[in-house]
Amino acid sequence: MSTTTWAWLVLLFPLLGTLVNGLGYKQLGRGGAGAIGTASIGLAFVCALGALFSLQGHSAEHRELTSSLWDYAVTNGDVDAKLSILVDPLSVYMMLVVTGISTLIHLYSVSYMRGDRGYARYFAYLNFFVFSMLVLVLGGNFLMLIVGWAFVGAASYLLISYWYRRGTATQAGIKAFVINVVGDVGLVLGTFFVLRHSGTLDFLGTFRAVHGGAFAGHHGALVAGCLLILVGAFAKSAQIPLHTWLPDAMEGPTPVSSLIHAATMVTAGVYLIARLHPLFEAAPAAADTAAVIGCVTLLIAGTIALTQTDIKRVIAYSTMSQIGYMIMAVGAGGYVAGLFHLMTHAFFKALLFMAAGSIIGAMAGAQSLDKMSGFRRSMPFTFGCFVVGGLALSGVPPFSGFFSKDEILAFVGHRGGWFVALYVVGYIGAFLTAVYTWRMIFRAFWGEPCAEARELEGGHLAHAEVPTNPANGEQEDTDVGFPGPEHTIAEWALPMKVAMSLLAVGATVAGLVQIPNVDHVITNFLEPTFADSKYVHDEAGNGMVYFGMALGTVLALAGIALAHRIWVAQPGSAAAWRARFKPAYTLFVNKWFFDEAIDLLVVRPFAAFGTFSRRTFERVVVEGTLVDGTTSVVRAGSSAVRAIQTGFLRYYAALLLLGGAGVLLYFLISAS
Amino acid sequence: MNALVTAAAHAKAPHIDYAGLSPFIALTAGAILTLLIGLARGRWVRHATPLLAIVTLGAAIGLGIWQFGEATSLVSGALLADDLTWTLLFAFAGAGIGATLLAWRSHAAQEASPGEFFSLLLFSVLGMAILVAATNLVTLFLGFELLSIPLYVLCATELRRERSLESGLKYLIVGSVGSATLVYGLALIYGATGSTDYAGIDKAIASGAGVGGDVLLLSGVGLTLVGLAFKASVAPFHQWTPDVYEGAPTPVTAFMAVATKAAALGVLLRLFDSALIGSQHDWAPMLAALAAITIVVGNVGALGQTSLKRMLAYSGVAQAGYLLAGVIVGSQLGAKATVFYLVVYLAMNLAAFAVVVARERANPADGDDLAGFAGLGRTQPSLAWPLTIAMLALAGIPATAGFIGKVFLIDALVDGDYAWLAIVLVIGSMISLGYYLRVVATMWMREAPTATTTGVPVIAGGSQEADAAARPQPEVLLVAWLAAAATIVLGIVPQPLFDLAADAGRALTGIF
Repeated sequence: MSTTTWAWLVLLFPLLGTLVNGLGYKQLGRGGAGAIGTASIGLAFVCALGALFSLQGHSAEHRELTSSLWDYAVTNGDVDAKLSILVDPLSVYMMLVVTGISTLIHLYSVSYMRGDRGYARYFAYLNFFVFSMLVLVLGGNFLMLIVGWAFVGAASYLLISYWYRRGTATQAGIKAFVINVVGDVGLVLGTFFVLRHSGTLDFLGTFRAVHGGAFAGHHGALVAGCLLILVGAFAKSAQIPLHTWLPDAMEGPTPVSSLIHAATMVTAGVYLIARLHPLFEAAPAAADTAAVIGCVTLLIAGTIALTQTDIKRVIAYSTMSQIGYMIMAVGAGGYVAGLFHLMTHAFFKALLFMAAGSIIGAMAGAQSLDKMSGFRRSMPFTFGCFVVGGLALSGVPPFSGFFSKDEILAFVGHRGGWFVALYVVGYIGAFLTAVYTWRMIFRAFWGEPCAEARELEGGHLAHAEVPTNPANGEQEDTDVGFPGPEHTIAEWALPMKVAMSLLAVGATVAGLVQIPNVDHVITNFLEPTFADSKYVHDEAGNGMVYFGMALGTVLALAGIALAHRIWVAQPGSAAAWRARFKPAYTLFVNKWFFDEAIDLLVVRPFAAFGTFSRRTFERVVVEGTLVDGTTSVVRAGSSAVRAIQTGFLRYYAALLLLGGAGVLLYFLISAS
Repeated sequence: MNALVTAAAHAKAPHIDYAGLSPFIALTAGAILTLLIGLARGRWVRHATPLLAIVTLGAAIGLGIWQFGEATSLVSGALLADDLTWTLLFAFAGAGIGATLLAWRSHAAQEASPGEFFSLLLFSVLGMAILVAATNLVTLFLGFELLSIPLYVLCATELRRERSLESGLKYLIVGSVGSATLVYGLALIYGATGSTDYAGIDKAIASGAGVGGDVLLLSGVGLTLVGLAFKASVAPFHQWTPDVYEGAPTPVTAFMAVATKAAALGVLLRLFDSALIGSQHDWAPMLAALAAITIVVGNVGALGQTSLKRMLAYSGVAQAGYLLAGVIVGSQLGAKATVFYLVVYLAMNLAAFAVVVARERANPADGDDLAGFAGLGRTQPSLAWPLTIAMLALAGIPATAGFIGKVFLIDALVDGDYAWLAIVLVIGSMISLGYYLRVVATMWMREAPTATTTGVPVIAGGSQEADAAARPQPEVLLVAWLAAAATIVLGIVPQPLFDLAADAGRALTGIF
């Protein structure tokens, strides 16, 4: 089978899964939906492996394969809208990450969502998400990219609002959707800017046009296009200032947070910049913007994560922060480093979310760190997974996060100039990462066991008398599920255990494929995609690399030590710290007031403008004149038309002749 | 004597291109055969004649496909058998097949004797084919009358229904005025250019001998325009449309709505974009004004209608305005867009009329009353879906062919510097949502009336079993679903039809 056939199959299986689960939800029953959902993604993963081996069979210069299934609208020189895919190392890499992680998360969901009423609906959505994400990463032109981009936004909305009786969940879904649509608009407009001068929607054709100087003399258009595309990337990847939807998106089921809002969808922005690197290299201003925004995001999100108490939100801010690293990397030109971190992050972040889901199960749905403590003995497996994920996230060697984060920072430092500032901030962020990660671990697992943990030690899973929404304490509507009245923990469910173990292995060893001066598996693999990049041969010197590794290790351990000191060695000292850094704490715990700022700067002015317009413009002009006026004009016209429709033949003939006379008169006048 | 023999030997018999003529011959032969079979006695005639009509139309399509791609001049320049002719012939024959299926078990065909009914239908299709193939003013008029006269009769085929007779008579009288105007116009054009041949007219206009701006020619163009606009029900010559559509038997209405319109637009395209293209700057603004009036009048008139057939009549008026857009710009793009939209229009309307036919069969009293469609989505989804698709497509909702067709028309208008008309078109579409969506809403969002539709109490002879048995006939459903499916498929995969339309457009060699 050819490489592209494998890739088409990768798309086919999740689509089939969506259709079967979506249409047959009544017939399938519980086991069926989960099995079909998981198996379809598993098959997609197998086909992705097939594509990988098939691709490696080609020589390095011929590893960019396109295949078009159908020409939607192709005209000479204007539009070439095709249903086409591009199979190259980058898309295969993304395909493997997406299908691999998705398979495990589907497996996890089989147990985790067991108590939920909308089981088949859940798997239909989840399969649809994977399909959309694969369209996004496999699409061979801007059109497919936009389609995939919008589809994942829709899938994300559906899954965030999955428990649709929760007011908070539907609000979060709407917020996510609106912000993502802002991004979609940016992406589409950016595409127009690019298309206008490149004359093609095809990626490879666009890159050829860029290298061939299609934008010579139109540099402004290229920069504007790239900046607009960045708006799309920022919205999807939750970068400042379009990040506020991601923490709220934690309203979705935990496996969803794990898959969509940590491992895959939110990294789409990183993929986008890497995919379009020829454009961004031709427009350095846009690339620099990406690097700076990524850096700002990683710092701000890190500080917010320090103060949050909802365990999922801590991980969500951590995700933002880590994606900040990736965006900074690809913005600076370190595509391989960014994508490497994308993969390792997918492993350890998905693992952390799964472990968090397990704790939430043990807490009977509660998510606040204030209530959790001492789960170390009662949940040894979850604890182990959390520690592995935490070590990888903090960048402790030899866990995966260590190598990937180090590679990013070494590359950024190597760029020199003002990038040194980003380099420094990156290390500050690394320190913060260690602190907030271990703050979470120490608070949840150390200390006196809480009531739920004690109950679990007695072999019994805690049950809430009245299930409540952890966000606002409202009583849940158990008819449509919510995390299910029956909770599950990893210790008691084999599928969850298998999924988490595999991810834990990945989080531990995935970094070993790319050790400076030892091996370069990912660099070599992705080489054909980035061969035309001007940074392809940029590599940090040995001194910088080893210094960075040492510094990273020291900062990670220091961060863990600090967290240990505050939350384990001297319990209660957190309050003193809070009092000492009151202004900073207020800033961080209120998430730097971004929601309030957006409310003040965007929502309120628009709302005020809207109210004002409704009172004046709409009431007078629209309702009074346009609507009433138009409808009465149309109504009058309608009755006038019907009035001359008398049914009397002589009038018809007369009107015909009258009209004829009118036409004739026009011609006579125009002739003279 | 000797001289006579030599003369006879020298006189060449006219060359007849039987291959090029074959679709016309097939239609003629089929029509006559249908008429003859109709004379036979026995119940089998009821089914044999429509079957024969379908076979004839199918044969015409097949022969057209065989001849596709060649441009041959037939009967010493009277007809031109090119891709435009064949593409439109496919449309006419398709509409004919649809109408035949709808009429198969109708009152109209039985009352008027099926042989006559279907034979007239075939003659009308033949007239349409000749009309659009004509490259001579005389042939044009011949085709025009061959199209019209069978239709006058067909409208009146429900002999026992007063409305049907009225509709036939009205159509005949108003149609005669239209024909008279047309023939007067054609005569003036001949007088101005000295030729009845399209090529000759084109040459005379292009020669620059002052013919282009000649009063005589322009008067002729104006009158011809009126005559053809009448057939295409372009406002203000549309008056007959709602009355005739409402009164005529519904299968005939369906045929008139799609095929007649396609023929009128086809001949407008052929005449104005080839013979009269030289004076385009004279007639285009007039035609654009007519198109704008048509769009407004059609859409506004449709708003208050309660009868679905009348509403579709007005909607047809509006759609004729959209279709004119492609003629006005006089470009390849415009011709393509018009042909594309014609085919799409055919599918959309056939679906809608098929549903009306099915409803009328179940409820003869007021089957096309919009109120009767309430709750159809729940009671008869097999009818509600095609009508929904047709309405959405007519309104131009994306993912239907109606959307793509309008996009092409707007593209052609903007390309041809008639952006203002494109805006009128869009505004017209906006207004049209008001009545198309009303139908959809009635079907899906209103409760079905609880009383039995017959209005006869159970005790008085009505029975629910009998009502339930009044299921739509399979051939009517087939038409509805095929047309609806075509509407959707062409909306998602427009390329094949667009290629066909492009071939048809290329047949008009005078425009670019």
